[in-house]
Amino acid sequence: MTTNKGMNAGLPRRSVLTGMAAAGAAALMPRRIQAQEQITLRWWSPQSSPEQLAAYRTQIANFEALHENVKVVFERTSDEGYAPQLAAAFASGDVPNIVTHLPSFAVSNYWRNGLLEPFNDVIEMIGPEKFYDGVNRIYEIDQGQYAGTSIGNSAANMIWLRRDLMEKAGIDKNPRTWDELLSACEAMQGGGIYGAPLPYGRNSMTTLIFIGVIHQAGGMVFSPDLDVAIDSPETRDALEFYKAMRQYCPPGATNYSWGDSLTAFVSGACATGIYTGRVLINVANQNPGIAEHVTCDLYPTKSADIAPWTFNDFPSVFIPKQAGNMEATKQFAAFLYDPEGYIQQLHAAPGHVLPVLKTISNDPAYQDNEIIETYSEEVELMSSAAANGFNLGWESTEHQPNTKAGEVVNSGVIAEMVQRVVLNDENVDAVLGETATRIEEIMAG
Amino acid sequence: MTAIATDPPRSAVSSPLERAYARLGVLLIAPTILVFTLVIVYPLLAAIYLSVFSIYTPTLQGGFVGADNYVELLTGKAFWNSLRVTLIWTVGTLTLQIVAGVGLALLLHQNIWFRSLARSLVLFPYFLSTVVAVLVWKWLFNDLYGALNHGLMQLGIIDMPLDWLGSMPNAMIGVILVGAWKYFPFVVIAVLARLQTIPENLYEAARIDGAGPIARFWDITLPQLRSVLTVIILLRAIWDFKEFDLLYLLTGGGPVTSTQTLSLLVYQEAFGLNQMGQAAAYSVGMMLVMLVFMVLYIRQTKEKA
Repeated sequence: MTTNKGMNAGLPRRSVLTGMAAAGAAALMPRRIQAQEQITLRWWSPQSSPEQLAAYRTQIANFEALHENVKVVFERTSDEGYAPQLAAAFASGDVPNIVTHLPSFAVSNYWRNGLLEPFNDVIEMIGPEKFYDGVNRIYEIDQGQYAGTSIGNSAANMIWLRRDLMEKAGIDKNPRTWDELLSACEAMQGGGIYGAPLPYGRNSMTTLIFIGVIHQAGGMVFSPDLDVAIDSPETRDALEFYKAMRQYCPPGATNYSWGDSLTAFVSGACATGIYTGRVLINVANQNPGIAEHVTCDLYPTKSADIAPWTFNDFPSVFIPKQAGNMEATKQFAAFLYDPEGYIQQLHAAPGHVLPVLKTISNDPAYQDNEIIETYSEEVELMSSAAANGFNLGWESTEHQPNTKAGEVVNSGVIAEMVQRVVLNDENVDAVLGETATRIEEIMAG
Repeated sequence: MTAIATDPPRSAVSSPLERAYARLGVLLIAPTILVFTLVIVYPLLAAIYLSVFSIYTPTLQGGFVGADNYVELLTGKAFWNSLRVTLIWTVGTLTLQIVAGVGLALLLHQNIWFRSLARSLVLFPYFLSTVVAVLVWKWLFNDLYGALNHGLMQLGIIDMPLDWLGSMPNAMIGVILVGAWKYFPFVVIAVLARLQTIPENLYEAARIDGAGPIARFWDITLPQLRSVLTVIILLRAIWDFKEFDLLYLLTGGGPVTSTQTLSLLVYQEAFGLNQMGQAAAYSVGMMLVMLVFMVLYIRQTKEKA
């Protein structure tokens, strides 16, 4: 006969059985209960300059202080890389909890495919009355259901100018039309300085900027009913203007994206620039010598009777439907608008991401910023331009929301059109016809 | 007349020990077969399966389309254009890798000063992360601040900065050069190892016969390197053919689609256009082309064996 020495050593059988039962019960305890004890939320954003990262750290720390069992991890993505990264994340089910600063047209595409959690609860937590009128309209793709909301506004195609170079070239006013811009570039180019850093690369910047140029010619990519309307005389004019501008751009503009174009102006290599208000903080940090000469305006149009068209990508916030810990995720999404952290985030690049809450714009803490004070006129102009801005997902107030806009942008078909006409000198009619067909295929797909 | 005794069938005589060994053999090889199935057979079959569907990448939902994706592959321009670009890139960069690799291996085989240090340093590009290497090269190629344009302008070779990565044929030349720089150390290592095993008496005999350095290279060194060079060329051809990160980071496939290789086309289709089925069809097409290299490699290694 064998005996259990352990038991004989002093542990009664009842105690052992009780212990085993307790251990078994603990092992069988639903994991969600354990998960409530320690939660990790993943936050993705393509906006991650050092100043913005510092602001995010504040927001994360403040939220974690309020919720001891929550840990928030920030993960960078990029303007060019978010689409494939999110596609892979959705396909694998390994999604972030919250994604910020992606353009609104990306959000509508994901919503249409049933990949997002309705954002109504978060908007309610923030307070719908605090938002500027119309901010959430673009996210209401289905009646009464919000796919996300804006974390800010942006005016991405402002023209940036150097007053000192304009004065030196005898230019007394900001260019309003394309002809005036071409003349100004001609006058300011020289001595190692180029006229403009327009993008001609095969990337999203070229696509998004050129969509603006089509509108600045009075055209559009889609009709209000979302029929493809890119094959038009206005697009031909836009291509002609873009081709004419090539001689005033640095040789490497054929490969420029957002960062290259920004740096070309900020470094002083180009007399004009095309970007958001991020220019201001970059000039202040990287080239303060030109800071007092920098100003911005609405990008010129083909003629003075065509109204300017500002590209606003409506930097967004949304929550993937597959994300875990939904309650905590929604609380964190709403917390991003908490004044302390939100204002620090906006101050990270003043004028780059503009507030969408009236309460923040009027907050003295937001106004209390050296750059916003110094460039108050420019910030005001960008704010009003962004408020009246559009993008491919919503080309005008007449347009229906275009849930395929993200795929059109990511396909690169418009950037390719620009490259084929401007760089390869291919036949415009043939290229436009093929481009229209390809966009129709994407819309049908 | 006597009958000739024949061996009974083997199965009939296999002993319990032999059967146990056979079972053990199956058991021992099973993990390898399992891993092989999971990491090679399953993805391969999955790609073929996906290629007959139209699938939206983020949801992996879609419908059966039969051979439509292959019809698009055969009749559309995208695949053939990318195949042409891939072949130009592969041949271009591989040729440079071989020439530079053999040349440097010959140099490092000589009794030169700091030979050990040089042999270590030559591996540097191969060890460097592709992302870091591309960042450095993009800076060198930069039109406004790049050292390359600056140097050429200082030397008076060019008047204005060259657009290295945004126009053709410069973009293709640029990626080929960077690819050759990044991967030639592999050729150096392999060739150097083989050079050290060539018997010295072959060279002595050739010298006695009056052969100069060039004759010795063509008549002794190159024939001796032939087998290793064949394997290197086949391996590097396979690796270069499917190169992705270096090209994607340097040019993104542009201008237009001038440097868009098959790998970039598959990526663009799968994640830019979210058409996973069409991307799978392209990757199956790519795999069939690579199969030619594989067959050649297997035949070559068999011959060697």
